[in-house]
Amino acid sequence: MPSAAYLLSRLLQIVPTFLLVMVFIFLFVRLLPGDPAIAMAEAKASDQQLAEIRERMGLNEPLAVQFGYFVKNTVTGDLGRSILMKRPVAEVILERLPVTVYLSLYAVALSVLVAAPLALFAATRANGPADIAIRGLFQVGLSMPVFYIGLVLLTVLGAKLRLFPVGGYGRSFIDNLYHLALPALSIALYTSAILMRNLRASLVEVLDSEFVQFARAKGLPRRIVLTRHVLRNALVSAVTLLGLSIGNLMSGTLVTETVFAVPGVGRLMLEAIFARDYPLIQGLTLTFAVIVSLTFLATDIVQSWLDPRLRQA
Amino acid sequence: MKKMIMPLLAAVFLTAPMAMPATAVERGGAMSFARYDDSVLIDPVWAERNPDIWMVTNLYDTLLRNGEKGALEPGLAEKHEVSADGKTITLTLRQGVKFSDGSALSAGDVVFSLERARNPDGPWGNLLASVTGVKAEGSTVTLSLKQPDPTILSVLATFNTGIVPKAAYEKMDGANDQEKAAAFYAAGPVTSGPFMLKEHQKGSRMVFVRNPNYWRNGEDGKPLPYLDEVDFEIIPDDATRILKLQSGEVDGAEFIPFSRVAELSADPNLDMKLFPSSRIIYAPINSRETKADGSKNPLADKRVRQALNYATDKSAIIRLVTFDTGMPMTSLMPAATTYHAGSEPLYPYDPARAQALLKEAGIEGGLDITLTTLAGSADDSTLFTALQQMWQGIGVNLKVEQVDSPTRGEKNRSGTFDIHTYGWANDINDPAQVTSWLGYYKHRQAVGTGWNNAEFNTLFETSMTETDPEKRREEYKKMQEIYAEEAPLLFLYETPFAVALAKSVRDYVQSPLGANDFSTAWKSK
Repeated sequence: MPSAAYLLSRLLQIVPTFLLVMVFIFLFVRLLPGDPAIAMAEAKASDQQLAEIRERMGLNEPLAVQFGYFVKNTVTGDLGRSILMKRPVAEVILERLPVTVYLSLYAVALSVLVAAPLALFAATRANGPADIAIRGLFQVGLSMPVFYIGLVLLTVLGAKLRLFPVGGYGRSFIDNLYHLALPALSIALYTSAILMRNLRASLVEVLDSEFVQFARAKGLPRRIVLTRHVLRNALVSAVTLLGLSIGNLMSGTLVTETVFAVPGVGRLMLEAIFARDYPLIQGLTLTFAVIVSLTFLATDIVQSWLDPRLRQA
Repeated sequence: MKKMIMPLLAAVFLTAPMAMPATAVERGGAMSFARYDDSVLIDPVWAERNPDIWMVTNLYDTLLRNGEKGALEPGLAEKHEVSADGKTITLTLRQGVKFSDGSALSAGDVVFSLERARNPDGPWGNLLASVTGVKAEGSTVTLSLKQPDPTILSVLATFNTGIVPKAAYEKMDGANDQEKAAAFYAAGPVTSGPFMLKEHQKGSRMVFVRNPNYWRNGEDGKPLPYLDEVDFEIIPDDATRILKLQSGEVDGAEFIPFSRVAELSADPNLDMKLFPSSRIIYAPINSRETKADGSKNPLADKRVRQALNYATDKSAIIRLVTFDTGMPMTSLMPAATTYHAGSEPLYPYDPARAQALLKEAGIEGGLDITLTTLAGSADDSTLFTALQQMWQGIGVNLKVEQVDSPTRGEKNRSGTFDIHTYGWANDINDPAQVTSWLGYYKHRQAVGTGWNNAEFNTLFETSMTETDPEKRREEYKKMQEIYAEEAPLLFLYETPFAVALAKSVRDYVQSPLGANDFSTAWKSK
């Protein structure tokens, strides 16, 4: 297992990342054109109403003062009050976050379940007809945008065959598995295609290496050779890829959750952007940053467990 | 194909407001309805966005009601009287009305609700600006006004004056009324309307259940509503919302894109409704003498604005953007508005006349105009492309500037635009709101155009204290004539509310103001 010192150094590296993220979030949101007070009040408000809204939101304060408030409040867990939802941002995000986490884990699990066995199957038959067929099929998955795959799945498996509900979210853990099957699948088709290609390439390379030939020559059973020697070595790059894809997956939820009517933070982000809901956009970006950073941390830990050489880095 | 679609759409449009054939209503059951956006806070006073506003009257009944064809009908008040000087409104409450928790609805609740609605901090407080006091005596409620206010009765039929229970509401914690309203809503509020809120899973679903104490009777002589439950699902994506309906998972879907109306009308399992709305699409024209950069503004000349209107082929735009579901504007206000005057589309397509007007205005050698549109809006892109081609013929070089909605709002307020796209829907069943918005300079510089017409402004001010309906109608007629002649807008079109329903759903109505009315809806088994 990775040492405590290693974990600590990795954790400390996250702090400057967060600080930079906060500066960027704060500045970028304010660089967007358009008055948030107008977005909030809609067109019919009078100029006086707009002035009151600006005052209430602290939009008249100098930027540095606004940033000071932002850092202080964020550190104390106060992400402000959502303009759109009229409730504390933290409360709104915490309500929606489990939905996105559920969907993401579901998609990752599906991706791994699909990609790993197929990659192993294809790698052990490299350049054979089965390998070519599998790679060709995944190439199709890779070349289509997720929202398009989503709409096709919705139309065929949802509306026509009625195997799955057309969008929405369930009321229990099991019900959610059923409701989120199509969105998870549409994400997984894409992620698993990348994962499958990468894993297959690594596997082919490792299968051909001398230590594997030595393991075989020792007379180790095929299953042991594949799991203990081949998979473990091939997984290092696949885990990196999976970690990176979580970042993509997060930004992908904006589209997926809208198409599939999933009430997660991705759709919330889209609503917040359209409404120029500054506090909510800031809170959500920070949430995404935390999730991605923690995923990278987890990726590092898993990698260092798989490959002890990385612990020196 | 077009020949087939037109009569079909016309038939749908004409039959939309009518009830279905007289079959016996069936009670009970749940209706599921796919919405484009979720409600945040359904409260009469603090509802700000359409997904909130359009749901309020399902939960909170008003003293008066907007009946069919826009006439006012008795609501929680069975009688109302306006004093001879127009400054006192006396309402007699209906006897025996109860809230959803079984408690009696009293004059005290009405006073409390109207006092809340008068809160100047609330988004709709100004609708009751003329009210100086509300008093109760027995089952009589009296409103005292500063001056006669011809809009006041319509306001008493508007969502913001919905009646809430004083006792239950006052139990809520909150630093101010807005926080109390949020707490009241979150607690599953006690209601006076046909439904109660059973559940609201934000962003996902909302469930209304029948209020067993609702007072209004249905066709079968028993209390409304007919449905036991309405289940709302929030499906923001148009294509998914339609698929959800086609797969039979929901019984209704709102905001059907106009491009899909013909297809869904032809679906034998669906009933494609086009409810007449008060929604208009128009484009304010910057009518100030000088532009924001100090240069002379050619659009300040009304002949140039008229020319642009004549050079716009509205039927072509209606065909391109609304797939022939829209109607050309016939006045500044939507045709469904009280005192609307104008039977003919404004500025029929006449490029020759447009060219002559430009010449008369001394515009020679072309004119550069920028149209500010919403980025990402397919409708706006289509409109721009069509206008660019149409106006090229009269020597107008139209450029586009794409912005997002808050930026467009900012440009409108600061007057830094030539022409931009905009939309409107009435919130109240009275012409004052739309007229003030589009034409009254002191409101918002006549929808940001800077058009400042003394005669129009005076007429509007007079109409705001005019209690004689006939005189008021005359004043509005005159205002509409002036506005049409002066053309501070590019008059475009009105659009219906497109809602697709399963064949089993009957008598669901979306009012011209947009309100989703489930009180008389029922489902055949």
